[in-house]
Order: sequence, then C-alpha cells, then structure tokens
Amino acid sequence: MGTFDVPDIEYTRYSSRQLLAVPLAVLAVALLVLGGTFVMTGAPVPLGMDFAGGAQLTVQTTSADAEIQDAFTVEPDSIQAVQAPDVDNQYTIQFAGVEDDDVISDLATQAEANLAQDGDASIVQSESTASASFAEQAQQTALLGIAAAFVGMSVIAFLLFRTFVPSIAIVASAFSDMVIPLAFMSVADIPLSLGTVAALLMLIGYSVDSDILLNNHVLRRQGDFYESTHRAMRTGITMTVTSMMAMLVMGITASLFGVELLASVGIILFVGLAADLMNTYLMNVTLLRWYKFHGVRS
Amino acid sequence: MGPIAFVKEYWRFLLLVVFVTAALSALFVPGFAMGDDDVVLDEENQTVDENPTNLEYGLGLEGGARISAPPVGMTVSDLAIEHDEQNDVQSAVQQDLGLEPVDVTVRFHEEGNYFTIEVFDEDTTESEFAGALQAADVEVVEAGGEREVTGDDVENRVTQDTRDQMIETIELRINEAGLSGGTAYEEATLGGEHYIVTEVPGMTSDELHELLTDRGDVRVVAYHPGGENGTHTNDTVLTRNDMSQIGSASYDDRYGQHYVSVTVDDTSAEGERSPAEEYEAAMNEYGFTSQGVGQCTIQDRQADEFDFDHPEGDQQWCLLTMVDDDVVDAHPMGDDLAASMYNEEWSANPTFRMIVPTQQDAHSLAVNLHSGALSAPLDFDRDQQYSISPALADQFKEYSLLIGVLSILTVSGVVFLRYRDKRVALPMIATAMAEVVILLGFAAAIRMPLDLSHVAGFIAVVGTGVDDLVIIADEVMDEGDVNSQRVFESRFRKAFWIIGAAAATTIIAMSPLAVLSLGDLRGFAIITILGVLIGVLITRPAYGDILQRLLTDK
Repeated sequence: MGTFDVPDIEYTRYSSRQLLAVPLAVLAVALLVLGGTFVMTGAPVPLGMDFAGGAQLTVQTTSADAEIQDAFTVEPDSIQAVQAPDVDNQYTIQFAGVEDDDVISDLATQAEANLAQDGDASIVQSESTASASFAEQAQQTALLGIAAAFVGMSVIAFLLFRTFVPSIAIVASAFSDMVIPLAFMSVADIPLSLGTVAALLMLIGYSVDSDILLNNHVLRRQGDFYESTHRAMRTGITMTVTSMMAMLVMGITASLFGVELLASVGIILFVGLAADLMNTYLMNVTLLRWYKFHGVRS
Repeated sequence: MGPIAFVKEYWRFLLLVVFVTAALSALFVPGFAMGDDDVVLDEENQTVDENPTNLEYGLGLEGGARISAPPVGMTVSDLAIEHDEQNDVQSAVQQDLGLEPVDVTVRFHEEGNYFTIEVFDEDTTESEFAGALQAADVEVVEAGGEREVTGDDVENRVTQDTRDQMIETIELRINEAGLSGGTAYEEATLGGEHYIVTEVPGMTSDELHELLTDRGDVRVVAYHPGGENGTHTNDTVLTRNDMSQIGSASYDDRYGQHYVSVTVDDTSAEGERSPAEEYEAAMNEYGFTSQGVGQCTIQDRQADEFDFDHPEGDQQWCLLTMVDDDVVDAHPMGDDLAASMYNEEWSANPTFRMIVPTQQDAHSLAVNLHSGALSAPLDFDRDQQYSISPALADQFKEYSLLIGVLSILTVSGVVFLRYRDKRVALPMIATAMAEVVILLGFAAAIRMPLDLSHVAGFIAVVGTGVDDLVIIADEVMDEGDVNSQRVFESRFRKAFWIIGAAAATTIIAMSPLAVLSLGDLRGFAIITILGVLIGVLITRPAYGDILQRLLTDK
C-alpha cells in the first residue's frame, strides 16, 4: 500500500514574484484561450444543447457508427457509445446549436425511421430537446446564477475577514478556479451544459473551503507564518486531493456509462480542484505572506 | 457517570443516532412517509414490492416525459368595462378578429378590481388586438381618466387565472389518460415569462406532445341550408359551457355506436332561456326537427371522410361534432329526438348522445369534455422536452448507485492512506455515510422525487462532508495528543469556525440555483444545501464527540 504524504514547499526560497508568476501565467493563458475562442466562435466555451438549442438522443440500435452519422438531416456534433456492463449498442448523440425547432423535434422521428432496431428495445431510449429561445433564456439564467453566486461568495469573504488583502485573495483564487476549468472545456471541447454550470458553482464552494482554512491559520492564530502555512497545507491538501479522487472516479465511470450530468460534474470539479491547489498554495500563500510581512504595518 | 452527565457530554453523538434512526425508518418502514395517500394505488400496480425503500424517483430515474412551453396569448389590462357588458365585449372582439369563442376571454379580477381581455391566437398581432378593442369602444382606465387602447397596452402574456386553468385542465387530462403521478406546474423565467411544465411518468414524448397540442375545444355546429339564398351555413349551437353533465366513453351494442352521453344545462336566470331551451329552439328554427330529419349524408363512415362539396340543391341538415378545427362526426337528427324537440319536451330532460366513429374518438372526446378546453394553446416553438424510457431510467438508477458506492470507496481509500489510523478514519467514513443516510431519509420523508441531479448533489455532499471531517480531525490532533477535555473543546471550536464559514459560502454559492428555474439544477442545489446544513448542524459535531471519546484518555 502506498502512502499519501503532503509535500512540503520551501516557500522561503522563492520571492513573491516567482511564486505568483506560475498561477498568474496559467490564468493569463486561460483567459487568452477563452478570449480567442470567443473571437472565433462568438462564445468563450462551446455551448451545449441546454444553452444553444438542440437535442440529445440516447438510442439503442444495431446500426454502425457511420450509419448513425448519416441518419439525420443535421450532422450530429458527437456520437458516443455507452460502455457500461450489460449494455451493448447504446449511443448518445448530441446536436447543439440547431435554431429551427421543427428540425429539432423531427430528430427522434428520423432516428426511429433510419436506424436498425436492436431486438425489441425501442430505438429512442431518451430524448432531450431545447428550442433556441428556451436555450437563450437558460443561458441568461445561468449567467445570472453564476454572477449572483460569485458576488455572494465575495461578500461573505469580506464579512469573514474584514481586511482587504486576505479577502481579495479568496475572491481572486475563486475567480481563477472557475476560469481555468472553463478554458479546459474550451480546449477539450466539452460543451457547457447544466451539469457543468452546477460544477462551476460547486467549485466556488470547494475553492473557498481551502482558502478560508489557510487564511484562518495564518491570520487568526499565533505563531510563525511558515509553520501556520504548513499546518493549513497539510489539512487543505488532504481535503482537496480526497475530493479530486472522488470526482475523478465519478467523472470516469459516469462518462463510460453515458450519464452525462454526473460525468461533466466530475470532470470539471477535478480540473477545478487541481487549479485550486495551485491557486491556493502559490497565489494565496504569497499574497498572505506579503500582507503579513509588509501589508499589516501600512 | 450518571445518565444525565452522559447525555450532557455526548448529546451531539446521541443526536446523530436519533437522526440516523429516524432516517432509516423513513427509508424502510412501509407507509412511513408523510401524506402517503396513494399506498393503495401502489399496491394495485405492485410497485411497493419492487421498491424496497420509500424513496420516490423523478422522471430521469423512473422513465417518462416532460415538456415545458409557454402559453400563447396577449393581454390588455385595466379596461373600462361594465359587469353586464362582459359577454358583448367578448363576442365583439372575437368576431372582429375572426376567432373562435375560446380564443378571447374577458376576466374580472376581484382582488385588483379590474378587467382584462386576453386573446389566445398566434396569428393575431398586437395592433390588430388594439384595433379590435377600439372598434368595440373599450378604453383603458388611467389615473387621469379613460383613453383609447393602443398597441403599447398589449402585453405578451396571459393572466395568472388563465395559467391556473391550464394547469388544472392538463392535470385532468393526465388523470383521464389513466396515468398516475403526472403533474403540471408553472415556472417563472428571469424575463417574467411563465412556462407551463408537464411531467408524466410512463409516457413517451410523442404521447405527451399529443396530449398537450390539442386545445380540446368541443362544439356542436349545425350545418344547414339556412344561409342567404338557401346556401349552407355553419352555426355553433352547443359549446362545452352549455353542458352540465358528461358521461364516459360508451358503446351501444344495438346500434353499433360509440358515444359519449351529455346533459345540457337546463337552469337559467330569471326571464332568460336555459342553454337546453336555446338549443331546442335553434334546432326547430333551422329545420333539424322537421324537413331535416335524417338528412345528412356528407360523412363517408367507411373512409372517415367528410364531403362539404355537394351541390347546393342537395340540402343537408348535419350536426357536426367539432374538436378544435376538426370535424369528428356529422350526423342528422334522429326521429325520436326530433319529435321530442319539436314538441318542446326535450328541454325538460335534456340529454343526448354525441356519436363518434371509433372507440378512440369516443375516448378522446370524453377526455376533452371532462377536462374542458385548454384556456390557451402552448407555444411549442419555444419548448423544451425531455423523455427517457423506463429501461434506460432503470439503468441510470443502477449506475447512480454504483457511481455513488465507488466514490465513497475512493474517499475511504484516500482517508485511510492519509491517516493510517483506524480510530480516525473509520468514524470519518461512517459519519460521511450517516450524512447521506439522513439526507436520503429526509428525501423519503418529504417524498422528494430523486433524479440524476440529486445523485450528483449526494456525491458533492460526501465530498464537502469529508473535507470538513478532515479539518476537524487535523485540528483536534494538532500539536500532539489530546489529553484533556478543555483542550479538545477549544480545538474543536476553532475547527468549527472554519467549517461554519465554509458552509456559509457553499450555501450562498448554491442558493441562486435553488431559486432560479434552471431545470435539473434545482435538485442538485437543494440537496447540496440540505446536505451542508445537516452536516454542520448534526453529523460533523457528532464526529467531534466520537474523536474526543477515542482520543482523550478516559
């Protein structure tokens, strides 16, 4: 059995500038990716059917991949075979960004007509459609939800610590924790869905956990800065790594089983928590160190 | 230690035991759940035996269909109408716009003491609507007085009363279709728009779509040669509102007829004719009870077709049964009925049979008559649909369980690797699981239908739960052994500050989702928030108690 030990970073060996360079560079790259995608496609991340209109079908058929590809008047964005135990010939098919509602509602009929039936199971096992106007409305609602959650979190952070630098460190880290997985989605071509929005909001909660822990140890307890940081890290990294592992397992199994909602929640949280490790223990620690040694006096 | 001291010292742990016990009984004791009124029904379907727990499953884990769509309609409010003019205004606007009676509704709202007019038709524009109101001399009441209606007064919405009626009608239709567990409700969007959401377990998307597309406006129309110069004309002689009693879909062996029997309302206000008398008079006036008896041949029953293209000389007296814009049946007045109407005897006992070609027609006619017409049609161009087969839903149920178990195992593995101390790790895992059990019990008790989004919530709760337990464990074991209760208490309090702060932020971050109508995500947010609350208030303090017992040398 292996061991799980929390690594020890020699913070004293690095200057603030060096420590901050890594998270800031990653954040900058992430923002560049999002900006670039926005310029090219009109949206910072690929929008799934929930937010762009379209359909998702789960079909049970003996037709081959190529036949599925050709079965519809609109070209599918993706066709994924479900790889669960005891399940064969099951596929999830995504169509995003379809504007015409008649086309959307016709997709299931086309599947019934053009795909080969597998035994006596019905061809269309699940159908989820959103019209363009419904999707647009969902998009606005989701944006408002994320904004409200972020503002609420910032207010709580300031109420808890009542000092500028430590509070802003929490807010900045949470921001970066959300931007990095968004950029990851853009690169890995994971469309934004209701599930990924839930994951992003959950990330706010998780991200703040470790930040509060760190701030609490450094600011509210007596003792040496490095000693406090080390203790907070031991607890914080255990927490984050435990959650990351749970999310990784959930993300992988759920995507194999074709349970889209759970898969996207798992994968996005995994990436976001990894970003959180970096942001908390490079960016926040540095900001707190500066605050502790220089900021308090001014 | 006396019992009181024991309770005083371990009350947090005891509270956890109480909650877990309550949750387990909510989950497994049959009939425990609140308002468990359909147990009898469940037994008929034998679902009680299949489901070992009291958990209710939502659409995604049970199979079924859901459609959300906004109603079609426009409203003008604050109109100057006298109470006795209501019907005149309604028919003036309806005729001006060339619509059916169901497409225009005048309402008086007692609470605000004002009138509204609604038009439920996709093709009518705002200015046409305003024009029709101007033509009918209806004005808007303003602070300064009354003024003419303009296109700006027309709002693109229907009233709350209309939406309430729609929901009622849809629920009646679901019940008439013989499916239990279906619901209809409304959801407000950010823009103040309202979507009507209908969910029916055990239906496919197409079936539900069909149930909702039909407006279900049933009328009897007289088709007779009473127009100008003897041309054939249509007159609506009976609507759903004129009927007081409606039977069920039936079959008459003797004549081989499918029918729904209907009683026409024979009550009336002082000095006015009852709907039954009106109908009788119209039948006599148009000649249905005299020269028109038995004179209707436009329906080809074999081919189920209607031929309105006959020569004018070929006179027809047909009673058309219409649903929305479709003719379902066309038949003449029979001898017996004609005689009793001719003698004005029928209106004293005003029942008749609405005959339709097939059993299917009889059934859908009965459904439409029972539920009434849908006040406004739904706009399917702006809809969202979801459906899942029961087989796939069952798969998802298994997967969720498997994914949940795998996640818990992973968490346990990591915790063991990290602490390598059973005294710390075992209670930690047990506590995290207790949290899920309490949450599941709570869901069973309030009969919350569980969906995939809730499962995601449960896993997120395990995640945050273990995070907090790690904080408690590390904090309490900080700087060597815990050898006195005082040290333990102080360290525990410090840990609790962090947990409380983190919980507060998670709740704040999740609350927009719990309030906003963003489909599946509401379930996720509600479970996460509940989980965090249960964790902070019950399970995590109890873990502190357990650790104290195990670590302090008592």
